[in-house]
This record gives sequence, C-alpha cells and structure tokens, in this order.
Amino acid sequence: MGKIIGYENDDLKMPNKIIEMGLLPETCFKILYQAPFKGPLYIEFGDEKSRIALREEEAKFIIVEKM
Amino acid sequence: MQKSTDYKQILLVGNPNVGKSTVFNLLCNKTQKTGNYAGVTVASYSGIYEYKGESVEVVDLPGSYSVYPTSEDEAIFSKFLIDEQQKYAGVVYILEALSIKRGLLLFQQIQDLGIPILLVVNQIDQATRRGITIDIEALSKELGVTVLQSNAKKNEGIEELREEIFQNKFSASEQISFEVPLEQKGLVFKILAETKESNQYKIWTLLSSETYFGNLESVKDQMNNDEVKCLVPKRLQTQETIRRYQNIDKIISKVLFKKPQFKELLTEKLDKVLVHKYWGYLIFGAILLLIFQSVFFLAEYPMNWISDFFLWLSAFANTNLPEGPINSLLANGIIPGLGGIMVFAPQIGILLYFLYLLEDSGYMARVIFLMDRFLRPFGLNGKSIVPLVSGTACAIPAIMSTRNIENVKERLITILVTPFMTCSARLPVYSIIIGLIIPNKYFIGISYKAIALMAMYFLGFFTSLMASLILKKIIKSKGKSFLVMDLPSYKMPLFGYDFKLTLGKVWEFITGAGKIIFLVSIIIWFFSYLGPKQKPDEFVATNVKLDHSYLAKMGKSIEPAIAPLGYDWKMGVGILTSFVAREVFVGTMSTLYSLDDEAPEGKIIDKMRNDKKPNGEPIYSFATGVSILFFYAFAMQCVSTLAVVYRETKSWKWTMAQLLGMSGLAYFASLIVYQFLK
Repeated sequence: MGKIIGYENDDLKMPNKIIEMGLLPETCFKILYQAPFKGPLYIEFGDEKSRIALREEEAKFIIVEKM
Repeated sequence: MQKSTDYKQILLVGNPNVGKSTVFNLLCNKTQKTGNYAGVTVASYSGIYEYKGESVEVVDLPGSYSVYPTSEDEAIFSKFLIDEQQKYAGVVYILEALSIKRGLLLFQQIQDLGIPILLVVNQIDQATRRGITIDIEALSKELGVTVLQSNAKKNEGIEELREEIFQNKFSASEQISFEVPLEQKGLVFKILAETKESNQYKIWTLLSSETYFGNLESVKDQMNNDEVKCLVPKRLQTQETIRRYQNIDKIISKVLFKKPQFKELLTEKLDKVLVHKYWGYLIFGAILLLIFQSVFFLAEYPMNWISDFFLWLSAFANTNLPEGPINSLLANGIIPGLGGIMVFAPQIGILLYFLYLLEDSGYMARVIFLMDRFLRPFGLNGKSIVPLVSGTACAIPAIMSTRNIENVKERLITILVTPFMTCSARLPVYSIIIGLIIPNKYFIGISYKAIALMAMYFLGFFTSLMASLILKKIIKSKGKSFLVMDLPSYKMPLFGYDFKLTLGKVWEFITGAGKIIFLVSIIIWFFSYLGPKQKPDEFVATNVKLDHSYLAKMGKSIEPAIAPLGYDWKMGVGILTSFVAREVFVGTMSTLYSLDDEAPEGKIIDKMRNDKKPNGEPIYSFATGVSILFFYAFAMQCVSTLAVVYRETKSWKWTMAQLLGMSGLAYFASLIVYQFLK
C-alpha cells in the first residue's frame, strides 16, 4: 500500500499516459504482482480499483509514500 | 470515408475497452471485431443504419484516453475528431460505468473543443452488481448533456440511442470546464485575436501538443513566434490533466455512490493464477498448445469432408461434361484449385475463434504483462506479443494491430518480423509437405507429423526473434520505450458473437483467396493445356502433353536457379505463383497434378508421393521437402501483406527491405538445408 505524492523532476521523460490513466497525486495504490526478472508491475489504484501494468522504469517517475 | 450528404454522420468515441465496438455492431447490424484489449479497433470502421427513414453513418474511432496522441491509433483518433469537425453531426461518447473517472477526462476535452456530444453510460449493471449507483440525472446536469444508459452486450438501450440520434440530442457546451492557466492566457488570447478561431481550448491544444494536429492553418503561422517556442507542450498537458481530474473528482462525488468496500472478485481470483510467475506462463503455454492441438485434430474431420466433396465434384464434372477444353478447365483446373484451398478453412476458423475468445475475455492484456520483460531484449514491446500471436492466423490484421505500440522503433520491428510467424496460409503448404516426407509414426502418443509442425511454428517464432535482434541494432531509436497499460476486468467471452465473427473472417478468406486461386488456376490451366507448336505447319498453339506445355517451358527456364534447392520445374511454378499468396502453392500443385493425370480422381498428396524422378527416386525426397518447408517459412510471399506493410510504415525502403531480406534468407536457407541433407 502506498500513496502517490508527486512526480520526479525530470517529468519531461515521463510518459503522459501515467497521468492520463489516473495515477494522480493523492491516489492510493497497491502493487499486487510483478512479472519475473524485474518485469512490469501490476498495480491496483484509486477508489475505482483500476488495474494498470507499468514497467519499473516508468514507476520510478512517481514519488510515493508508504501507508 | 464516405462524404455523401445523404447521410447523417456520427462518431463513436471513448476509452479503449468500454464496449464501443459492441455498440457500433448493434447500431449498424454489421459484424466487426470488438475486443477486451486496447487496439482491436485498428482502423476507423464505418457502417450505416436506417432509422425512421433517416440514414445514419456511424464511424467507430479507435479508443483513446485523451486528445493528445501517444500512438498511431490515437493519432488517427485525434486527427479525425478535429479535422473532420465540419462533417459530422456529433459525437456519441461511450463511458463505462466502472471507469467513469478515466472516461470523463477525454469527454471534457471533446466538450471543450466545442464539439456537439451525447453521452452513453455503458454496462451499468456491472456497476450495480458491485454496489455502485450512478445518478444519471445529476450526471446529465453536471455535464450539461443528454445521458443515456445502455448494456450493449445485451442489446439494451440501443433503440433509445437511435431515437436520440434521430432527434439530434447532441449538445455543444457553452462553458469550458478547463480554464487556460494565467501564465498562458495572454498568449492564447493573442492568437485568438489574430485568427478567426473563437475557441480558446482549441488554441491551447495546439500549444500543448507535441505533434501538430488539426487543420487550423491560419493558427499554424502564429505558432512560430518565440513565445510559443519556449513553451514545453508536455508540461502543459500534465498541468491540464491534473486540473481536469480535480474537477472530475468533484463531479464524481456528486453522481456516484458506492458501498465502502467493493472488490473485483473474479478478476482478483483469476489473476492470482493467471499472472503468477510460474502458473501464469504454464497456463499461457498450455493455452497455446491447446489451440494448436485443436487446429490439427479437430479440423481433420471437416477437412476430409471438404476434400472428398471437391474430388467428387471434379469427377462429376469430368464424366458429365462433353470432352474438350471446358471439361478440362473445370475438372482439372478450377475445381481442384479451389478445393486445394477451401480445405484449410476449418483450421483457419478454429485458430481465429480461439484468438477472438482470448481477446474478448481480457486475457490478452495479461499475456502482454507476462511477456514484456522477455520481449524487450529483442527490441520488442510486451504489446508485440499480440501481433506475433495473431500472426499465426494472418499477418495482415496482425500488422494492423501494431498501431497501439507507442514507440516507433518497437512498432517498426514488430511489423517487419511478424510475417515470419507461421500464418495460416503456410499451413496448407506445411501440411502437404509434412504429409509427404514425415512417416506416420508415433512418439509416446504424439504423431511425428504433429511434432514436425510444432517445429515449424518454433522455427517461425525463433526467426522473428533473431530478426528483431538484428533490426534492433540497425534501426535508430526514436523516443523512449514504455509500457503503461490498462488491465481490464475479465469478462465471459460472447461465444456466439465471436463465432459469428469467425465465420465472417473465414468467408472473407474463402472469397479473397478463392478469387486469386480461381484466376491463377485458369492461367495455369491455359498455359499447361497449350504448348508451342510441334509441327512447322501448325499455326496456332495446340493441346499438348503437360511436359511440352508453355508452363513447363517457364518452369524449366528457372530450373537452373531452383535445382540447387532440390526443386523440379513443377515446384518452380508453384513457388512463382505463390508469390501472390503462399496458399496458391497447393492450388497450383493440385492443378498441375490433375492435368498430368489421365483421370483427375485421387488425392493430390498421393499423386505427389508417386511422382518419381527418371531414376526411380521420389521427387519429394526428405531433403527436397525440408528445403521447401524452409523456403515457405522465410520467404515473403504475400502481396497483401506487403501492401499493408507499406501502408503502415509509409516507407518503400522498409517494405522492399522486408521483401528482399525475407526472400533472400529463404533462398539461402533452403540451399544450405538441401545441400546438407542431400
């Protein structure tokens, strides 16, 4: 469990899709699975319990806090 | 796109996976694939329906999350939405009850562009079942549009939608839900004043999109000043998205009520196994195995019926028609040619049906999740797995399904290597050659033939990976590779609906391939029935033995090139004709061997088996057979695929590179294999 608090400063390299899909500041999330060999993350987030897959590289742009 | 003024044109718009294509199908009574996986709607389809004497043309646009495109799919979407604005009556926006928040982002962007819009909330029963209530009236008031409810998969709400479209209940919003931030306001108003444009949000989208879209030519001139150049479009987009979501949160709190705890039980339980680090892969492997087993064993019975039917038909034509060219053309040319290809319809149908069910259920997105890490080292994206797997049916839809791969390089590599996958057109060739050269023996219950066929599938997959690895080094990278993908809830696939789609596709294959094979068999028959004059006093070409026909002359003239691969002139003719399409090989062989015989009865495969060289050795020896298999595994023999590759890459360079690269590889691989096994 965690909460998104913001994005890294080099946000220009961050795909906009992350925000468009609804990974916004103040959103709570849970990492449910990760594919083997540091594969993509399977994340459940928000009130709607949306599910999304993203790679570690993309996830690194998101600053989170433990809950 | 039709530009007739007799039609009222409307656009269907929404996020991927919201049931847009299902609504489209119900509206237009036309079969078109819908899928529970982003990117099934690969092009904008259009269909027409009549309601109360009015013809309405519905354009189904690819699903998108915002008006700023990140992939080719979304670029088509934005371009159409903005460029064609004058032509359509309005937008029907489909919102899925379970993901209203995400859906409203694009909805409000479209509304702010001043486009007339009508809202449909789909799959409301899914939400109710999870304890979520949506206040439709409040939603309608908050957004200032007509809101309809529908359950597209059960055909509910479609009549109402037709009625609202008939009554033109599209409304263009007066106010804008996104205020241009103060820092850019001055600039936006400056541009507004200098152009005839009146919509400030439209100017904003121009400032904040990285690639220019829209047809505001006059505005484009204004876009070159320094003030615009120092803007960072991406940052503007981020700003907009975050602000919009704040606004949307407020709306949602007024229209959506839910029990505090709700869970996606089915999806949660299934994903515990289906994306598991061991079980997930095992199950994916098992599913693939099941599909391929069915393709070969289930299809055997209908294939025998079809084959027997064409044999009977050919014999019937032979005995009942008067002797002469017409008899020969039908009994030895057209009927065996068509029969040779129809026989593969069951295999193609079974393969497609499985792929449709997998897409429909939501499983494909999990496969992408599982495969991404393993495809990346080859310069591919997890999303490439869908074209690669679809490529086992046909490379044409597979190549079109690459449009949702955001990264240009990954998309290009996927397009270039997908034709290596064993498509269903290769199956006829493989089946017949494997039947000829592999003995009818079993290894712990699995037939040698099935193993050989599996090996061919592996060869195709392995070659695509190797080719990707090479292309990864050659192609210059543009943009960063990323994977941000929605994982939809699992849904029970619509078995009957998918079956209908499969039948449609199989029919397309039969008529499409049928037409080509019909023509090719006539041409082959013509050139094989006739030959150069034998006696100097004859002026016209006459009926001759096959060995002396024009066709034999052509085949024999390329023999020096193909003899080192172990082929005779008949195979040469087969290979030449199958540059149109691979499956033509079997039709050509059927025609050739029917012509060669006195009686057309008997299966082609037996005739090929009994074909002997002058020294008594079979023509289809093991070495020759393997050489043919390698040739068909690698060669680019499909005009339609080349056309699609050109259309998708817009590059002659890559299309020709693919044609020459694949065919060159085919020639040398077959040469080496034959010389080694001989």
